[in-house]
Amino acid sequence: MSVADRLPLGDAAGNGALLLGGLCVLLAAVFALTPLVVSLPGSLYVFFEVGILFALYGVLVLGLDLQYGHTGLVNFGHVAFFAVGAYAVAMLSARDSFAGISLGLPWPVALIGGIVAAALLGAAVGATSIRLRDDFLAVATLATAEIVHSLFVSFEGIFGGNVGIGSIPQPVSDLAGDADTAMLATILLFGGVMLLTLAAVTRLTEAPYGRVLRAIRADELVTRSVGKSVITYKMQSFVYGAALAGLAGGLFALYTGAVAPGYFTIQVTVTVWIGMLLGGAANHRGVLAGLAVIMGLRLLSRFALGVTPISADAFASVRLVVVGLVLVAVIRYRPAGIWGDAEELGVDT
Amino acid sequence: MGLLQNVIFGLVTGSYIAIAAIGFTLIYGIVNMINFAYGEYLTIGAFVGLLTAVTLPLPLPVAVLVAMVGGGVASLVLARLFFTPINHTGPVPMLLTSIGLGIALRNLIRLAAGRNARYFDTETATFRLSGVPDVPVGPFDLLGDFFVTSEHLVVVGCAVAVFFLLHGLLTRTDVGIAMRAMGDDEDLARVRGVDTQWIRDSVWVLAGVLAGLAGVLIAIQTNVSAGTGYSHILQILAAAILGGAGSPYGAIAGSYIIGLVLSLSTAFLPGGMTELSSAMAFLILIVVLLVKPSGLAAQEVREA
Repeated sequence: MSVADRLPLGDAAGNGALLLGGLCVLLAAVFALTPLVVSLPGSLYVFFEVGILFALYGVLVLGLDLQYGHTGLVNFGHVAFFAVGAYAVAMLSARDSFAGISLGLPWPVALIGGIVAAALLGAAVGATSIRLRDDFLAVATLATAEIVHSLFVSFEGIFGGNVGIGSIPQPVSDLAGDADTAMLATILLFGGVMLLTLAAVTRLTEAPYGRVLRAIRADELVTRSVGKSVITYKMQSFVYGAALAGLAGGLFALYTGAVAPGYFTIQVTVTVWIGMLLGGAANHRGVLAGLAVIMGLRLLSRFALGVTPISADAFASVRLVVVGLVLVAVIRYRPAGIWGDAEELGVDT
Repeated sequence: MGLLQNVIFGLVTGSYIAIAAIGFTLIYGIVNMINFAYGEYLTIGAFVGLLTAVTLPLPLPVAVLVAMVGGGVASLVLARLFFTPINHTGPVPMLLTSIGLGIALRNLIRLAAGRNARYFDTETATFRLSGVPDVPVGPFDLLGDFFVTSEHLVVVGCAVAVFFLLHGLLTRTDVGIAMRAMGDDEDLARVRGVDTQWIRDSVWVLAGVLAGLAGVLIAIQTNVSAGTGYSHILQILAAAILGGAGSPYGAIAGSYIIGLVLSLSTAFLPGGMTELSSAMAFLILIVVLLVKPSGLAAQEVREA
């Protein structure tokens, strides 16, 4: 079965996302490529920063939802694929960085390299771990993420150690007239990419292919007994999710212009997991909405920091206490998420 | 530093990992969950011990006992609050809950204790209000080539004592025998009159006591910070899985293998790559899951 067969014309929602996503990318191109400039009020910067991160995490959560929401694969090392995508792009495209490898290749080549690198890691992890029982798969993927993290820290000559890799090209900033325009173009571009990803995964999961994935999640034995190669489907789903994370990581590197191990901690995994569980796994728009709620909390907490007397360091701890307890509370009180289908997910409410 | 020295460090590391891994694997075997917050129980024990020994200050053996009680109480209370209510939902929600709880606990401890590492016996322990308890330090040479400190002896001695007491508990007492029965077949144990909820609570307490002991020993041997538990959880996990999840004796063997590998790998890794020695533990974990998913002692973890 070729990829084209798996992608029917899609439903209204998928087409809407496709159109809107394409429009966003076009608008981004207008702002980036023409002399048109905008100026944003400074008070809006924080919304743009969090919004850009939301779009990237949105791509992450859509990939994770393909793995967990649809196929039932408990990947608790999603940040590893995000990080590998970012580092691959950094190493391939950085121009004489102060640390680590920098090959100075054109950024589109690097971005493809980042997606491929993340997909390859996904295939490697999948090949070794995908047969494990759910909770052991979570442990294996989490351990993978910790290994990847410690490799980035340890091999200074290759990955730049704790400093990371800098001087990565920032194509949007380079093209746009000024910083404000670049910010608007970036959020439009990344938002567009997120919507196009939404359209793609919606089409994939609305197709018979998606039904097989959900059948695997619901009952693996039955799915195998009707002649579907469960392992093949699981591998594909895992690699697609990893590749999407690689894309998000690559875009992240090209946006920030620098990568360092500190950007890629378990907090990233936890944020996308909470977003997914809160929104309702297996519902693409639901998981994006859940992520928006969590990222909204992050935004609120930034403002709260300004009006509370405690130090930024203590505040970061408070925020993480809340994040941890939100995860606990969602699993306990909304196991199907806000927009999830409890019956389909097979959870008690 | 000779190879023999690394073997000694490995045995010490293996000892405190083993104490913790027994508790971890009992929770896995009887409550049927991978408890990721378990590392934080070590941190709780370590700080309770530190407060007792340094702030109050009471003698070190008392502090160790208080740390064990603190670990046991914390474990039972957290289990009743967070895990018992969702016991029926299966392993994945339990695991995810423990990850969330672990993040919350770790940062609560960080709020209370700050970011710096605390020691039992140096001036950097800001918990200290008055005299420091006497933790005899000072390496004494055995062969000139390597050294064993009194802390090393305390750690290994505690581990050996735990192994004997645990063996006695599991083979000679009603509670221990009921635990083993539940680990084998919970339904069968229940119809044979075992009070499963009471046994489950006992396991939580026992695991917490062991975590408290392991934590305070780590604090005595090295230092303790809010991140101590998290930096040990994957080693504990690797040891438990290597030994065959659910098997206490396997966990002991797995722990010493992990301890020796960690310690010997630092001897061969170039400087500045110490971070990689922890990656080694995770690598072992993945290799074991790949090659022999049931570990040294059998329990099915693959289903496809």
